[in-house]
Amino acid sequence: MNSIQIKALGFAAILIIATIVVVTKMNIDVIHDSVNAITIGGAIAIATLTAAVAFKYIGQMKTDTASGELSEDNWDGIGEYKNELPSGWAYTFLAVFLWSMWYGLIGYPVWSYSQIGEYNEEVKAYQKKFEEVHKNADKETLQQMGESIFLVQCAPCHGNTGDGLSGKAQDFTKRMTKAQVLAVIKNGQNQLGYPMGAMPPGMASGEAAEKVAEWIANGAKGTPPAEFAVCASCHGADGKGNNGMAPNLTTYDLPLVQHVLEHGKKGIIGTMPAFKGRFTPVQEKALATYIQSLAN
Amino acid sequence: MFHWLEKNPFFFVSGVALVISFAGLIEIVPNFAEAARPIADLKPRTVLQLAGKEVYMKDNCIACHSQLIRPFKAETDRYGEYSLSGEYAYDRPFLWGSKRTGPDLHRVGRYRTTDWHENHMWNPPAIVPGSIMPAYRHMWKNTADIETAYAEAVTVKNAFHTPYGPEFKKGKDAWEKHKPKVLEDAKKIVADMKGTEGMSKEELMKQIDEGKVPEIVALIAYLNSLK
Repeated sequence: MNSIQIKALGFAAILIIATIVVVTKMNIDVIHDSVNAITIGGAIAIATLTAAVAFKYIGQMKTDTASGELSEDNWDGIGEYKNELPSGWAYTFLAVFLWSMWYGLIGYPVWSYSQIGEYNEEVKAYQKKFEEVHKNADKETLQQMGESIFLVQCAPCHGNTGDGLSGKAQDFTKRMTKAQVLAVIKNGQNQLGYPMGAMPPGMASGEAAEKVAEWIANGAKGTPPAEFAVCASCHGADGKGNNGMAPNLTTYDLPLVQHVLEHGKKGIIGTMPAFKGRFTPVQEKALATYIQSLAN
Repeated sequence: MFHWLEKNPFFFVSGVALVISFAGLIEIVPNFAEAARPIADLKPRTVLQLAGKEVYMKDNCIACHSQLIRPFKAETDRYGEYSLSGEYAYDRPFLWGSKRTGPDLHRVGRYRTTDWHENHMWNPPAIVPGSIMPAYRHMWKNTADIETAYAEAVTVKNAFHTPYGPEFKKGKDAWEKHKPKVLEDAKKIVADMKGTEGMSKEELMKQIDEGKVPEIVALIAYLNSLK
């Protein structure tokens, strides 16, 4: 053993000890956490290998002499031995060569990789799995799912609590304000694409409109006023929208949420852009569940 | 076989360069030429939107906001469709960005509205609780440089054949002719605004009547055009 070898061993030992010291100081659980155990094992292996390799080649340098047949080329008196390629190199080169032929002629043209293709498959597979898992989701799951979607996609305009940020967007704690109902009665409505089609402007006016608006704004509780009869032909006698034929005036039910997400909406508050194709049917159901829960 | 190459460094280097460039030529160029073409229906930005883009660059929005939605499910769920290179064909420079302290903005025009931006730029935490975005109230005081934006449109039209109409010509006269159109666009934006403590809607309209477009109006026009 010469002094360089001793120094190399010492250096490796210092590395290992330093690693152990740092790990102990940081209060890391090495024994019970497999990832940490593998990491520290790797660190020790690297230090040991470094020492061993240094040990071997430094020893070899002392005894090795040049041997073999010289090639006839020489550069200013510096020659080159005609040694074989190391076999590891040669086989790797051969393997890479064969692989590149396969990839260039068959692999890439036949199974041409596309990032978009991978994305499409990923989304399709995920959506399918998602719809399957949550096909019969219970109310609590839908509620939680709806909340997380709401916080990301809806809260920036409607506020974290869904109160519409003091009139900047629709207030989900109520269905409609009196002013909104009056505006719709006055101007008509044809944005949401319900089967019933467009609502013509001026279905009611004056006191009749006031009474209807009052009743809806107060949560459509109890028997509707007689003036509601004209609305009832489309919205149903109870104002619940005739099973999805026309907008539900009492609560944010699933058809209403779906129609607004698909078409967007412009009202007296402002414009809501459409969110078409952004949610799966289960997510829409979840959103409707969550938004309905905000009313209480 | 190739021993002689080792003795001719010049040929060797040229040969290596040739092989590598050939690979690049057949792999990169065709793909790039195809993908970088403007997508169908792509329109160059209007002068007002260009002025807004200048505001976006001046106030360094790119430091916190990217404009590039990658094809990953997590991104498309949040921001909408992934971006295509053809969509940036008329952006000089494009503003992809590489840092997302705030959200991506490439499709912000699809899901945010004029009045939302107005309220948000005036006081971000009031609209998005916990937001660390600073308020940009100077945008109400400063005037957007629509004349330079017009010059930019004319320049890219002449230099890169960006499809602006025949009315985009050099010179003061052409600009004076086009200016009312820019102000009209600005009024359309203001019509959807609601006014903040900074400036009421009427005051904004008055400014535009005087031929001055506040930066906030131009910026909102630009953000709405990101679809």
